[in-house]
Amino acid sequence: MTPAISLKGIGKKYRITSSKSLRLREILSFGKKQHSQDFWALQDIDLEIEQGSTLGILGRNGAGKSTMLQIISGVLQPTTGTVEVNGRLIAIFGLGSGFNPEFTGRENAMMNGLILGIDRHEMLERFEEIEAFADIGDFMDHPVKTYSSGMKSRLGFAVAVNVEPNILVIDEALSAGDASFKKKALQRMYDLRDSGTTVLFVSHSMGMVNRFCTEAVLLNRGHMIARGTPDEVLGEYRSVLEKSQSKKDAKNAERDQKLDYAIAHEDEDDMPDPPKGKGKRGQRRPTGEAEVLDIKLLDEDQQPAGRVPSGSNLTVRVRARYAQAVDGSAFGAVLRDRSGTLLFATSTDMEEPPLGARAEGEIVTVNFAFGAPFRPGHYGVEATVSGDAGRLLGRTGEPATFEVVAQERLAGDVIQPPTRVEVYDHEELGPAT
Amino acid sequence: MATYTSSEKQGLGSAFFDALGTFYRRRWLLGYFIHRQVTRAYRRSYLGLAWAVLGPLVWVFFLALIFSHVIGIKDRAVEGDPTLNFGLYLYCGLLPFLTFSEALNKGLNSIRSNSGLVQKVVFPTEILPFTNAIASMVDKVFGFGALLVMLLLFGRTLHPTLLYMPVIVVLQMIFILGLTYIMAVLGTFLPDVGEVMRPVIRGMFFVTPILWPPDRLPDSLSWIEDYNPLAYLVNAYRDLILDGTMPGALSTLYFTLFSVALFIVGFALFIRLKPRFADHL
Repeated sequence: MTPAISLKGIGKKYRITSSKSLRLREILSFGKKQHSQDFWALQDIDLEIEQGSTLGILGRNGAGKSTMLQIISGVLQPTTGTVEVNGRLIAIFGLGSGFNPEFTGRENAMMNGLILGIDRHEMLERFEEIEAFADIGDFMDHPVKTYSSGMKSRLGFAVAVNVEPNILVIDEALSAGDASFKKKALQRMYDLRDSGTTVLFVSHSMGMVNRFCTEAVLLNRGHMIARGTPDEVLGEYRSVLEKSQSKKDAKNAERDQKLDYAIAHEDEDDMPDPPKGKGKRGQRRPTGEAEVLDIKLLDEDQQPAGRVPSGSNLTVRVRARYAQAVDGSAFGAVLRDRSGTLLFATSTDMEEPPLGARAEGEIVTVNFAFGAPFRPGHYGVEATVSGDAGRLLGRTGEPATFEVVAQERLAGDVIQPPTRVEVYDHEELGPAT
Repeated sequence: MATYTSSEKQGLGSAFFDALGTFYRRRWLLGYFIHRQVTRAYRRSYLGLAWAVLGPLVWVFFLALIFSHVIGIKDRAVEGDPTLNFGLYLYCGLLPFLTFSEALNKGLNSIRSNSGLVQKVVFPTEILPFTNAIASMVDKVFGFGALLVMLLLFGRTLHPTLLYMPVIVVLQMIFILGLTYIMAVLGTFLPDVGEVMRPVIRGMFFVTPILWPPDRLPDSLSWIEDYNPLAYLVNAYRDLILDGTMPGALSTLYFTLFSVALFIVGFALFIRLKPRFADHL
């Protein structure tokens, strides 16, 4: 089978000058003076992508991911090498960017399809599908300027994925849109993948790449430094990230690591059922420098409780022992619902007070108290202890579970936040746009 | 859209005709783009597209009124025709000039202002200057309609030579397209050209016989008119619309040759350089 995409010796060179006038001076000097530098955004990329595979492209900002996708999709011309693409390729770089605000969603969807190179008849045939997928109701016939940014990306995504591309190129396109649309979009991507579409996918979400892709490549400073299964490449990626992190001071590194973790796991809870089975969350193993002894859930009277009424105040008590002396550490607690959806996470680092240095064998107890406006149901809470330089020192083996029972007047799926209702008799407030 | 290889180095000739073919293959896209361009300005208004005629109508009405009743150039012997209203005469010259200046300005920005399309989608960029040029032509067709209305209102006869207007418009279109493609390339690679063009366009307004009748030109300066393609268009408009005469055959031939050459050069330049647009935005 011919590969869907074949890259041979691809390189992309940019000439960088700090200002136009410097560049002019260089041109006028007929090569005597040099003010500009050559910058290779990509170099020596050889890559064959089989039909039907899903390739995740990883790398830090500026590694050349977007440049590579732009060259593959034909927007940019490579400086060296050749690209070969077989099949209808649809690239999504930022959704709805070609929309004109004065025209209706319907008109823009048609335009967008035509711009992507889809035949008008095909667009007309698929219009119902697109409309149903975007699911923005009557707004389809309103000017796009009245849309929220989420609605814009819904429509843009709907057009791009409903025209049955053979090759779909996605550059960080799923970050907009609410959870339910994300879920739908991902479901659609799974469908496309399963129907044999080749998908190229740039994401900083390691969880996404791990679950969705059949293989992955890692770019670093314009070079392809790893290719293989997502697992292998993600490992490489982490070590690249860690290398850059170890240069920073401990305090910042710890925060960075937390943020990295949050970013990497950002969208994993919006997944449709992960096909590879549960529990595979790309969790890191703790180093064992600390041990979470127990985690308890206390009710408003500070009594251990398995059942709490919705809306009451909860306390999560975490007790841990340090197996080794540490300079700094933080306790964290993570709440999930039964399906694993992250409800919220907190830590001593976010909330103060800092824990400071601890000696070997010391036992520390931390109480996390918070209001719990949750819907009735079963929930789980996990605890972690992390150290400086972003190491995970210890974590709970199994999450502690508890049940929230109904209080009254509850409707909704996940939470019951404190709500205030105001009624206006006249149209004092304009409609939200 | 299906299969492509970047190594296929096409000859300029085949690339040229290939790109011309795109206009046919992507005709719907072209149509929507032109429609979008023409209607965009009037989208917000209640009367919509009616403004495309109403706007010029109001303008030409005031031009006619001011110059005849206020400044008093009415019945002045302009080009030997004592009944000619100077306002209409002026507007007749303004129509081709405005198409020219719009084409230049829009052409300069046609790639830059669509950077989203150029950088993010595999897109036949040759469509962008084309739609710009056609859209401003279409806009002027509405202006032409307004002019006809005013001619009737001022009791002037509509000459049968008006039927030749489409020929002039087609020639003008080739001229404008060539100009737009050259401007699109220049504006993308050399942002400074935009600054250069502003005084050039202003200068063209005074160098072209729009405000002044060409027979006032002394012989020593006649080259200003002879080598000015815009002057040909202005004169041809007036000949066909106001005087009911045909423009000179030789000057028409020269203009045609010049326009076709301009288009071929401009379009070829554009096709040659368009793969590099995305790098320069």
